[in-house]
Amino acid sequence: MTEQPPPAPLLSVEDLTVDFGAPHVAVKAVRGVSFAVNVGEIVGIVGESGSGKSVTCRAVLGLLPWMARVGGRVSFDGRDLLQLSEAEMRRVRGRHISMIFQNPSSHLDPLMTIGRHVAEPLRMHFGYGAARARDAAIQMLRDVRIRDPELRVDSHPHELSGGMKQRAMIASAIACEPRLLLADEPTTALDVTVQARILELLKDLNRQRGLSIVLISHDLGVIAEICDRVVVMRNGVVVEQGPTREIINVPSHAYTRLLIDSQPSRLSQQHGKTARPAAVATTSEPLLAVDDLSVEFASARGLLGLLRGSEKASVKAVDAVSFDVRRGESFGIVGESGSGKSTIARAITRLIDPSGGRITFRGASVHDLKGETLSAYRRAVQMVFQSPYDALNPRMTVEETIAEPMIRHRLADRSGARKRTAALMAMVELPAELAGRRPRQLSGGQCQRVSIARALALSPEVLIADEITSALDVTIQAQILSLLRRLRETQGLTTLYISHDLAVVRMFCDRVAVFRSGQLVEIGAVEEVLARPRHDYTRRLIASAPRLEAATASEEGARDMDTGSAWKGSHG
Amino acid sequence: MSRLSVIGQRLLHLIPVLIGISVISFLLVKLSPGDPIRMLLGDRATEEAVSMVRERYGLDRPLLEQYLVYIGNLLQGDLGRSIRYRLPVGELILDFLPRTLFLVLYVMCLSVPATVLLAIAAARNQGGWIDQSIRVLSVCGMTIPVFWLAVMLSRFFGVELGWFPVSGYGETFIEHLHHLFLPAVSTAVWLVPLLVRNLRAAILEQMEADYVTASRSKGLPEGYIFRRHIFLNSVLPTLHLLGVMVAFLIGSSVVVEIVYAVPGLGALMISSVIGRDYYVVQGLTLVYALGTVLVTLTVDVISTLVDPRVKL
Repeated sequence: MTEQPPPAPLLSVEDLTVDFGAPHVAVKAVRGVSFAVNVGEIVGIVGESGSGKSVTCRAVLGLLPWMARVGGRVSFDGRDLLQLSEAEMRRVRGRHISMIFQNPSSHLDPLMTIGRHVAEPLRMHFGYGAARARDAAIQMLRDVRIRDPELRVDSHPHELSGGMKQRAMIASAIACEPRLLLADEPTTALDVTVQARILELLKDLNRQRGLSIVLISHDLGVIAEICDRVVVMRNGVVVEQGPTREIINVPSHAYTRLLIDSQPSRLSQQHGKTARPAAVATTSEPLLAVDDLSVEFASARGLLGLLRGSEKASVKAVDAVSFDVRRGESFGIVGESGSGKSTIARAITRLIDPSGGRITFRGASVHDLKGETLSAYRRAVQMVFQSPYDALNPRMTVEETIAEPMIRHRLADRSGARKRTAALMAMVELPAELAGRRPRQLSGGQCQRVSIARALALSPEVLIADEITSALDVTIQAQILSLLRRLRETQGLTTLYISHDLAVVRMFCDRVAVFRSGQLVEIGAVEEVLARPRHDYTRRLIASAPRLEAATASEEGARDMDTGSAWKGSHG
Repeated sequence: MSRLSVIGQRLLHLIPVLIGISVISFLLVKLSPGDPIRMLLGDRATEEAVSMVRERYGLDRPLLEQYLVYIGNLLQGDLGRSIRYRLPVGELILDFLPRTLFLVLYVMCLSVPATVLLAIAAARNQGGWIDQSIRVLSVCGMTIPVFWLAVMLSRFFGVELGWFPVSGYGETFIEHLHHLFLPAVSTAVWLVPLLVRNLRAAILEQMEADYVTASRSKGLPEGYIFRRHIFLNSVLPTLHLLGVMVAFLIGSSVVVEIVYAVPGLGALMISSVIGRDYYVVQGLTLVYALGTVLVTLTVDVISTLVDPRVKL
């Protein structure tokens, strides 16, 4: 780009409205949204669930379900896309504007090889023959940095990792060299190190090909990493937009400020060490000790293997792990998917049996517990799960859910349980009038509060929180975290906090253990581990986490140089 | 693992199944009431005569030994002799089997295209009048008893209009088609609705799948998306149901075979059971079981060809 007055934007959305349902009961998903994307620009749309960011994106491509009514103007390259016929629109999709989606597994046809996925749009838009499309697909897979593209071209989606699938989806989307890519939460389902690599790929495609990108995300950190400008949406309207650096450093709207302040990295800055409960942790005796724990999952070996007498194939989910948790401390377990962190939690709560090693609680082996002592242990160690809706029985009201464990364990009679339930609801800041509601009438954050109240109903000593905020919006996450912090202080809970998010762990935990592929990589005081990681993997994990500060780093020069550099396609 | 070795492994899994089938068919005759020797010789035979014959047939040996002899005979294709027809059971079954197989294949040829057409029509017009009429007809088809429908069809098209023969099997291929048309239609009338409901539901589910949206975002035409993505992903559950139904048909062709006097396995089974022709019943049990196993195997193999994720 040069210093001349900016040319007409590539995409300009003006006063976009989207309604669902019949006119008189219409739900307005998007109201009066306007923004523009210039050639070679990466624009981020940030917002929480229900903000209308995905709907906006789909409206641009005409991908909304039939009952949606779209108003306003969407000009792309001088044409109003909303006025095009379905046939004309089809020639735009994939050819001029493409889209990638959040969950690569469900957005790829499981029965089709990834090569064919990439070849499909080439054959449709350019009329390529099978052989030529295949060669082009291999080249595309190479361009999105899939290793061994000649082999991978014939792989089916289930044979690839999540990151590879996302790369394949990107390859398929940009095969026809569209000018604009709409990326709808493309890294949300991925591990943080994979996310970093996908974002890097998008950035490179932008620089090398001049591909304009609209990046939708709930994570301001991701947006800050690669976007030139940000559009902040809430409840279907744009609350603020402007250059990324300005929005993050000097947000003018209150909601934007809330969004920024809710980022876990900011939270830890605000609260700092002083807010942490008294650091008794280091001195007190271990409450829960995990010693040389291994968990194996056997995989079926089939009759042939049986006849051959081959070794039973098994996957080591947890491999000889030892650590202990002291009374009153908050212990963090960090790792990416498949690191075995949830398996450890399940072994501790005796939901699965370990294949080796032992877990001791107050010096007694957990595996030998039976009958009443086992019940007592179960009362003492309670767990809260990741998915707020799946962990609650949809047919039980909030009150029944929280009261059930007390009645089952005969800790209270019905009226006593009812009184205590009211107290617990107050403790987790749930309004009393929600007592009669069922899970689907609650928000995700409210459901998670119910789960926490249910766990606290048995007055546990240890609370295991397994990714309890990863399904929640960032502002809700901040609320839940401060609730947990307060509960720790007032109830003297020992907590085992499992997360993939280092920033959350930094804010909430005293000590942290980093896991990778079932093995303990590093363990120590949080500040120590995060400030001076000893292990390579920990370093990589820290470096991969998207940071708001990325927006303020100087990268302007590099971008200006590269933008528009002609990328010579191998086809088209 | 290559597909061939996977299929080989699946074949190995058949061995215990086959052993199980042979044990059950062997015990079937042992456990049935009545002494076969007594049946053979009649009530008036002396004890000596009975024990002599028992010795000659080897029925005084231990059960395990008898079983091994039975297996040995089976492997040589010897299923024993029919008491009623005075023929080797194997020969007898081979005589009746083609007619039933022909009928089952005929039913398939009528049902599968009809199912695909109706299911697609219903799913693509979900909630419309086409969908509703298909639904109403399906319910009718499933609720009408086969024997009643068979009798009605044969009265109307066979006797009143005289378009189709009301009984028999015919001599040539064309005659087979002509003779078996009404029996095949009577069966298809309840089979098709079952398959249509299954396939329609699968198609509707796949139409909502994320990869369909992704395909649209690439500008692929709707017809192509339907054929190449939605339909292919929908057929597997129906294919499995079809497999079960074919296996079921082989054994349940009795009703239409009796109504239309088709000399097939069903008719043979009924007459053998009534006539206490145990060795025929035993042989038929074996054939039905083998048929079921083969059909299931075929469906499984086809599944792996359609869906690379399917593990046998």
